[in-house]
Amino acid sequence: MRYVVSHRTTYSYDADVSDSLGVGYLTPRSLPWQDVASSVVTIDPEPGDLRTDLDHYGNTVTYFQVTEPHQALSVTARSEVEVLEPRYDDALLVQPWETCRPGTSTDPDAWRTVDFALGSALVDHTPEAHAYAAVSLLPGRPLGEAATELMQRIHADFTYEPGATTVTSTIADVLETRAGVCQDFAHLTLACLRSHGLAVRYVSGYLATDPPPGKERIVGADASHAWAAVWLGQDTWLALDPTNDQRAGERYVTVAWGRDYGDVPPLKGVIFTDAKESTMGVEVDVAPVVAGSGH
Amino acid sequence: MTVLRDYAAAVTQPTLSEEPGRYDELTAPDGTLRPAWKSLGAEVAELTSDRLRRVRREIGRFLSDDGVTYTRPGEEAAPWRLDPLPLVIGAEEWAGLEVGLAQRSELLNAVLQDLYGPQRLLASGVLPPAVVYGHRGFVRAMARPSADPQLLLLSATDLGRNAAGEWRALADRTQAPSGIGYAMENRRVISRVLPELYREAGLHRMAPYFQAMRSAILASAPEHVPNPRVVVLTPGTHSETAYDQSFIASSLGFPLVQGSDLVVRDGAVWMRVFGRLERVDVVLRRVDAAWSDPLELRGESQLGVAGLAEASRRGSVRIVNGIGSGVLENPGLLPYMSAMCELLLDEPLRLPSLPTSWLGDPGALEAALGQLGSVVVRAIDRPGWRPSENHDELRATLVAEPHRFVVQEQVTVSQTAAVHGLGVAPVPVALRTFTMRYGSTYRPLMGGLASVLDAGRSVSSKDVWVLKGRPEDPDQGLADVLAMTNVRAPAAMVPRVLEDMFWFGRYAERTEDMLRLVLQTHALSEDFRSRPYSSGGATLRVLMTTVSALSPTPDPSPDADFRSNLLDPHRPGSVAQSLAALRDAAQGSRDQLSSDVWRAFGSTDRAAQALVEYPYSHQVAESAGRMLSGVLSLYGVTSQMMRDPGWYLLETGRAIERGLQLVRLLRATTTVRRGIDVDRDVHHAVLAVSESAVTHRRRYRDYVRLTNVLDLLLLDPENPRSLRFVLATVQTSLAALPTSTGSTRPERLVLDLLEELDRADLAMLGTVDGEARPHLQHLLDVLLGQLTRLADAVVELHLAGAPTPRSFGLGRSGHTRLEVRGP
Repeated sequence: MRYVVSHRTTYSYDADVSDSLGVGYLTPRSLPWQDVASSVVTIDPEPGDLRTDLDHYGNTVTYFQVTEPHQALSVTARSEVEVLEPRYDDALLVQPWETCRPGTSTDPDAWRTVDFALGSALVDHTPEAHAYAAVSLLPGRPLGEAATELMQRIHADFTYEPGATTVTSTIADVLETRAGVCQDFAHLTLACLRSHGLAVRYVSGYLATDPPPGKERIVGADASHAWAAVWLGQDTWLALDPTNDQRAGERYVTVAWGRDYGDVPPLKGVIFTDAKESTMGVEVDVAPVVAGSGH
Repeated sequence: MTVLRDYAAAVTQPTLSEEPGRYDELTAPDGTLRPAWKSLGAEVAELTSDRLRRVRREIGRFLSDDGVTYTRPGEEAAPWRLDPLPLVIGAEEWAGLEVGLAQRSELLNAVLQDLYGPQRLLASGVLPPAVVYGHRGFVRAMARPSADPQLLLLSATDLGRNAAGEWRALADRTQAPSGIGYAMENRRVISRVLPELYREAGLHRMAPYFQAMRSAILASAPEHVPNPRVVVLTPGTHSETAYDQSFIASSLGFPLVQGSDLVVRDGAVWMRVFGRLERVDVVLRRVDAAWSDPLELRGESQLGVAGLAEASRRGSVRIVNGIGSGVLENPGLLPYMSAMCELLLDEPLRLPSLPTSWLGDPGALEAALGQLGSVVVRAIDRPGWRPSENHDELRATLVAEPHRFVVQEQVTVSQTAAVHGLGVAPVPVALRTFTMRYGSTYRPLMGGLASVLDAGRSVSSKDVWVLKGRPEDPDQGLADVLAMTNVRAPAAMVPRVLEDMFWFGRYAERTEDMLRLVLQTHALSEDFRSRPYSSGGATLRVLMTTVSALSPTPDPSPDADFRSNLLDPHRPGSVAQSLAALRDAAQGSRDQLSSDVWRAFGSTDRAAQALVEYPYSHQVAESAGRMLSGVLSLYGVTSQMMRDPGWYLLETGRAIERGLQLVRLLRATTTVRRGIDVDRDVHHAVLAVSESAVTHRRRYRDYVRLTNVLDLLLLDPENPRSLRFVLATVQTSLAALPTSTGSTRPERLVLDLLEELDRADLAMLGTVDGEARPHLQHLLDVLLGQLTRLADAVVELHLAGAPTPRSFGLGRSGHTRLEVRGP
């Protein structure tokens, strides 16, 4: 599928901001199953300093600084991408899950994936997460099957509920309240699989949504999304979306990956201001491009 | 027999103890002195226990005069401690150690370059990846292909000597190695208290090393910068090693700044200087990596500089040491040092580490779990972490995340003599060594900082003497360094330092004024407390009320009131509180002030201590008097300062405070009529407190009239204690500041105040209405309000720091939430 993704974040303040510094992960990655035809990040007011770079994980990261006083800041990313359904080699999916732990794997690149098998700032390996995952990670079970079942269980056992958790919620909180948002479910999947020694990435991106039957697609109703991808060896990562109980397929636009949300937030920043109030708005639109429509 | 012979005899006594023997730094097993000590010659024989005890007292005094402190996390700053007897290392022995230390720093640098670059160590299997990926010091923001390399410029290694007499590396310090300032201070003190021994010892002086360090730091600036500007970034005056930081800043001549003094623009670092921005080329970093950039590292940090990581990656500023260098402070690296040395330097490791195993290795974990009682468990990246005493709990912790822990043998470091009680006693010691990158090689300091240990904690320190092989050897082996002829602390420029100077002036004056009031009140109380119905008794009550108006106290008994005023730093407006605030301001601007300032605190501290020890009423006057001398000596110190903006703000602060205190005193004492005798006594006291009694007597004889008092204290242009004089001082000082236009708000407020005084009519002010003096009351109220506004306006114009960094959403954390529903 081909999409035009636009992601616009706006902040407005009740007093001048003298200085805004920002970092964003907004540019989709080029991948074997994802071709990025174009991607542009636009910032208003025009930043005095703007630079893109590749981070430690190969993600494109945008750094900017706005130094003219402003009461509103908008950051807009517009990308055109073509996504194919990722294909996974059955031979990799049926490996006993234990053989895919980087600590014991014989894969020559296993050392690189150790980074994704350890605990990270937002992903504690709690005993509860370990026990929850153990139900699916039965000895010798094929990894594809075990991980997929874990995803299904999380989808079934946890309620999608904005507001049930906050930015400071931990894995233990999510397990306790049995509710959360996509970020929580992705983090939970990471904690479950990593606590058994597997390497799993947090993936940040977008999901193309269908309009309700009989309605027009509403522009801007989409949002950022997050899921998890577990390492199968041979540079292959099985991408699973516990929020929607499905593999991340051709409707998923991959932007960046890291150990958890903290490595790849779509946008974060530091401002200098005496403002007391701020309002934030996010509009995400993942618009399918109809073949032959000129895009 | 000297005290050291006694010591030698005692430590070579055979003991029945089963404990492994410690290597003794002073005495060989046959009871003779080690060669290095022998070579110190006859002076050693002069060290009697009497002499050493005297030396120890002198050391305490020197350290207190220099204001040397160390702050343990979560505690108040405590005096730095130094034992009289140095740790002495002979030339030959040092030569072996030196090669090992230089190699170690070169290796650590090579490891740093590799981990933030190609990661050959991990790919080749020489170093298990979880040692690095699982360590907080590995900063991924700095691990980008495009990033400017971060060379390891300064490092420190802690050494201990085992029972066999071999040195072992216990730990490496690479983030922001501290201690070299303390080492320099220790040397300065020891060379003064044991001058003969020091002169004859033939040891390496440390000054040339400092000079070389200064040029190495300057040379680390980005290429093609002709006159690099270096700053020392400190977390503030309450940091553990604040003394060390300001010592380095002032000895090297680099300004001491905090995160809020710096900004990032165009991917470079700038310092705020009177509304301008000046480029910074090198940041000597003493803020922990995680806190050094709220944009990319810990978002809630108020200590760092937003954008610092980006500026560092671009190479527009050099951070010493780099933000990622903390990854080397990792005991998990120790088991692999030898293999890493072979891979990266292609040579064998010379200085072995303390035997360590990393528990991420399954075999090591199993072995460790079998002997939890006999090994030391340490976390790889949490220095304060202590293992649970409960072995089941500890086992569970280790099994859950084994890669975060190491085990080490119990360390039995060497011992040496330290002054203890009436003689000397053996104490365990560890040695912190310092190494810098100078040109393209690493050079260890010939010297160091020795720690006296008690249950593994450092409780005191020792100077470290590295002896020369031949008398003609150049100090530090550095024959070619240029002396630091023109190093002078740069002028105070950043708003935060200027603010500290302003408050230094204010608190010095507030302390002085309160001390004078306490002294006067105490004198009255000695004479009249038993005669409450005399006019002196009434005067005493007026002054006591004045004291409590300026510094409220719940304790009505005069002696308790005086004591808490002098001793309780939590009592608002008290002498003790003003002194504490004064000391804080001095700490913040330490690199701007002569070290004589600390001598003044030394004397106020001793005066306070005497009052704690002697609970007699006359001691109040004695201690307050000595405190006053201490505070007054600050005038002598500040009068020698450069006339730069910092000095003018100090003067402004002092003058405004004098005005405020004067007006408050007059409001509390002169606005009510109390009868001729009492009024006369009160006015006498006011003149005494205002240090104007002599002037008054010269001008008006002994005849005290209120109008004369007011003339002298408010309007007289020649009395340095008068409000008019004080305002003229403020006017001159403000005009000398770079911000002056002649019509800034503070300058306008001073003009208003002067006009108010011009309009004042003395005869009118003295008029009474019943018991009140309404005109005087009104004038003093107006003056107080205007002076307060003036003080605020000065702060606002000159000193307003940067607003604190906040996240886009105005919170403290940089995170926003994803809230998305699927299809």
